[in-house]
Amino acid sequence: MPDALRLATLAVAAVALFGTATTGHAQEPIRIGVLQPMTGPATKNGTENFTAMQIARDMINERGGISGRKVDFLLADIPTPTAAISETERLTTKDGVKITLGSGVSLLAVPVSQAAERHGVFHWETAGAADIITKRGFKYTFQVGPAAYRYGQAAVDLTLGELAKRLGKSPADLRIALLWENRAFGKSVGDSIRADAKEKNITLVYDEGYDQFLTDMTPIVQRLKDVKPDVLLAISFPNDAILFQRKAKELDFNVGALVGVSAGYSNPDLRDSIGDMVNGIFVSDFAARVNPKALTPETLKIADEFFKRYDDRMKRPPAGHASSAFSATWALFTEVFPKAKTFEPAELREIALKLDLPEGSLANGSGIKFTNNDWPTDPKDAGQNLRASIGVWQWQKTGNNQIFPAKLATTEPVMVPLPNWSQR
Amino acid sequence: MTTVGQLVFSGMLIGGIYALMSIGLTLIFGVLRIVNFAHGEFLMIAMYGAWAMTRYLGLNPYYSIVAIVPAMFLFGVVVHRLIVMPALDKPHLVVVFATMGLSILMQNVALMVLSADLQDVPPILGGRSFTFGPFYAKPELLIGFAVAVACTLGLRFMLQATYLGKAIRATVQDGEAAQLMGVPVPRIFLITFAAGSALVGLSACVMMPLFSVFPTVGLNFVLIAFVIVVLGGMGSIEGALLGGICIGIVQSLSSYYIAPAFGQMFFFMLFLLVMIFRPAGLLGRKGEATLGIND
Amino acid sequence: MDAAPPRAKQRSGRWRLLPERGTVSLFELVLLAVCVALVAAPLPQYLQDVVIQTFLWAGLALAWNIAGGFAGLISFGHAAFFGIGAYTSSILAANYGLTPWIGLWIGGVLSTAFGAVLTLVCARLRGPFFILSTLAAAEVVRIAALNWATLTGGAEGFSILPIASIANMVFESKTTYAALMLGYFLLIYAITKTVEGSRYGYYLFAARDDEEAASAAGVNPLLARTGAMSLSAFLAGIGGSLFAQYFLFLDPTHVISPELSFQFALLPALGGLGTAIGPVLGSFVITPLSEMLRSYFGGAAAGLHLAIYGGVLVVVMLYIPSGIAGALQRLAEHRRKGTP
Repeated sequence: MPDALRLATLAVAAVALFGTATTGHAQEPIRIGVLQPMTGPATKNGTENFTAMQIARDMINERGGISGRKVDFLLADIPTPTAAISETERLTTKDGVKITLGSGVSLLAVPVSQAAERHGVFHWETAGAADIITKRGFKYTFQVGPAAYRYGQAAVDLTLGELAKRLGKSPADLRIALLWENRAFGKSVGDSIRADAKEKNITLVYDEGYDQFLTDMTPIVQRLKDVKPDVLLAISFPNDAILFQRKAKELDFNVGALVGVSAGYSNPDLRDSIGDMVNGIFVSDFAARVNPKALTPETLKIADEFFKRYDDRMKRPPAGHASSAFSATWALFTEVFPKAKTFEPAELREIALKLDLPEGSLANGSGIKFTNNDWPTDPKDAGQNLRASIGVWQWQKTGNNQIFPAKLATTEPVMVPLPNWSQR
Repeated sequence: MTTVGQLVFSGMLIGGIYALMSIGLTLIFGVLRIVNFAHGEFLMIAMYGAWAMTRYLGLNPYYSIVAIVPAMFLFGVVVHRLIVMPALDKPHLVVVFATMGLSILMQNVALMVLSADLQDVPPILGGRSFTFGPFYAKPELLIGFAVAVACTLGLRFMLQATYLGKAIRATVQDGEAAQLMGVPVPRIFLITFAAGSALVGLSACVMMPLFSVFPTVGLNFVLIAFVIVVLGGMGSIEGALLGGICIGIVQSLSSYYIAPAFGQMFFFMLFLLVMIFRPAGLLGRKGEATLGIND
Repeated sequence: MDAAPPRAKQRSGRWRLLPERGTVSLFELVLLAVCVALVAAPLPQYLQDVVIQTFLWAGLALAWNIAGGFAGLISFGHAAFFGIGAYTSSILAANYGLTPWIGLWIGGVLSTAFGAVLTLVCARLRGPFFILSTLAAAEVVRIAALNWATLTGGAEGFSILPIASIANMVFESKTTYAALMLGYFLLIYAITKTVEGSRYGYYLFAARDDEEAASAAGVNPLLARTGAMSLSAFLAGIGGSLFAQYFLFLDPTHVISPELSFQFALLPALGGLGTAIGPVLGSFVITPLSEMLRSYFGGAAAGLHLAIYGGVLVVVMLYIPSGIAGALQRLAEHRRKGTP
């Protein structure tokens, strides 16, 4: 009898201990600092990014979290670079977060990652693309989206390849114009396109930056009319993209093809603002929706769920940067965190550097493989994702369809050359 | 030649619209001697109003003038009573910062309530342009310019021919003397401020077909408005029109011949040049800049 | 708005309670003690950040006040001086290895030159004409800095390497930064008090209050003004360098912005223009307020913290127009007269 009693007591004690051990540990959430511009000129990017990240968090928490631990976001508003630094430091020193997500736009990604690195915090960057982000030799900053130069590269590759063919000109004879908005992202991409063109011995017939507060596009459009380019590569934010398109129609500026780069031209609202004028415009950006065949069936299901939830919440499909925010955050939750035990930055860094996911693994078609001070063109480059998918899609009557590169494409480009305004 | 012509033509048209946006500000300055730092936000809410009329009532912005202008007049009355009047007998900077606080408040309430999305109205007149020989112009721009000129002429008529106009001019010239002559100066202040606000409402309706609206849209226009007001001569309606046209043309030509990256730099430099050589502005009263404004 | 005329000491040998021209009061001594305590106290880092920014802005507001409050030169372009200082010392350090301890003086000198030229160019302008000219000049500087990307890094910004060392003027410990900013602030406060109580100060007040009379009395208003603006620009430029060394990131759109220029004017206006303690009080109230609002409400509804800030600003400007310093003075007068 005493043995049975002892055994029973032991059993009860074991269950109690085991129970408290698991419940005690499982309750503790994983706290992540999220830095987004929720006020100021970049608010639109910030709010959309944050919504996408929240969806990822909700989805993972509904699936039980990570090893039973739920994910908790601590959001901080970063309207300016100084706020970015102060808030990153506050989240890390006051709230003790060791993992941060951000940052809405390129300009803010630089100080956020700078402050994070100073405090040895693991920073997972989803939106910022300025090339400088990964060229500072930082150990704990990982940029999951493509670097700025790749956006430019995709636009140039498309132009010199497909577009040249369809316009019936050889690349050397093609007249290419470059228009960039003078903010961190625009300048970064503009610089890279210029460098790329130089390398390929292409002369740009037009190469101008413009101020983000410009209210009248007449001088720009007029100059382009005078220069008569075949292809225009334009990096604009939503407000200027709208102003430019309207002015182009007004002054009857016609071009063989317009390739926008991310930001303004990739914004789904563009169709609401300028209607059918939008058809035919190419956009070099991370894909919002890629060819389903490019994704694994698992990933496709996740992507579809994200699209549905985003559409329900925001009443419109996600822009490329929001998709990217979701994909990167989901990858963090499903590829990095499950392998972590302590969730210390050093450990997360190890895991991140070992990641070797092929393209198509993430919801937006990207893979993951980070540089680590070993990139041939720049040995200080660390944390750049070489498999971030960048492609070109086109605004078409049937929707936004991927047309480049071939393996991600769902359809052929149309409307090349772009019909004149009088025919549209 | 076509190029220069187009640049000057388009610059003039948009400049006229900038002027329309600034007329309210210059009137307020001329009479009350204050600068309303929330001017850009007045424009913003009027534009949202015009957009809402289109979106929810199907009225295009030109028809919405009928509703927006009176609504902005009332809004001006409220702001004047609550914020401007208490600040008038205090040091000048008080009204500057009070209106600045109002500006921040309005921008962020708009953000909280309406979100940061850009809103547009669909093209009203098909989006096609008129051509005048080799030159193009959108009907919306032509209408805007026409409204600006009409407004300037109408205000000038009102100022010359009506009693209210005389009272306003008297207040501008010498507030104390006007009061002694029986002009109800505080009421003139109220009417002028509200009218200035109503004029912003008018310009918003004309601008909505041309520009997107979002909570911080005021920032794109407010500096232009200030420059036009001072450039044209504070309190001078015709000065505002002239100043606006100058700014539009300068911006157009400099962005083409030098670089669009410099954006507003050239008209700021023009402004500084005018300040050095004609400090009261193009049509301001000589000596006004130097003697001060009854501060 | 004017500082009170100096009163004969009613009780000789005793300290003044509240700040006055020409003497040091108990209030100021207590405030000094509080500041030193804030530097020395083992505060959590994010609070130290607020302290550092408060001290820096107290210094910057005082710098503005020398031109705006004392000389009546209301400038909405001080961000240009600030930016010139910040970029100069940072570029010299990055490109030529020059230590910011020396670079900041060079930045200061460049800002001074710009300020002096601006004042001379705008010599005939008053009121809103002057104000908008300073705004226009600052915008010209901002756009120039934005486009001269090879020098300033342009829109992508300019990062300063976070390698801590005294020569680099980069420090690991926020306490060191707090001490540095406190030193800056106290230096400018001392300069302000000295100017306020000096003959030069009288010239400035005279030129500000009634230019013609001052001229008739033998004061050269233009010289007085140019001197004031030059000093103001110099000190603002140095503040810019210190800012750069703390935040380690500069970009023209935010460092030479109209918003920043407004802040320069707002703090003294709120605290009490034309007094020495006014700008200090303005910074001590507004800087922590705006940082705390953003930290606590920034994660809630987007824009809430700024809406609150705007509302507070309107209310304070309307109900305490002579600033906090003015309110304190009225309090003191009430006490003296015995009215409750």
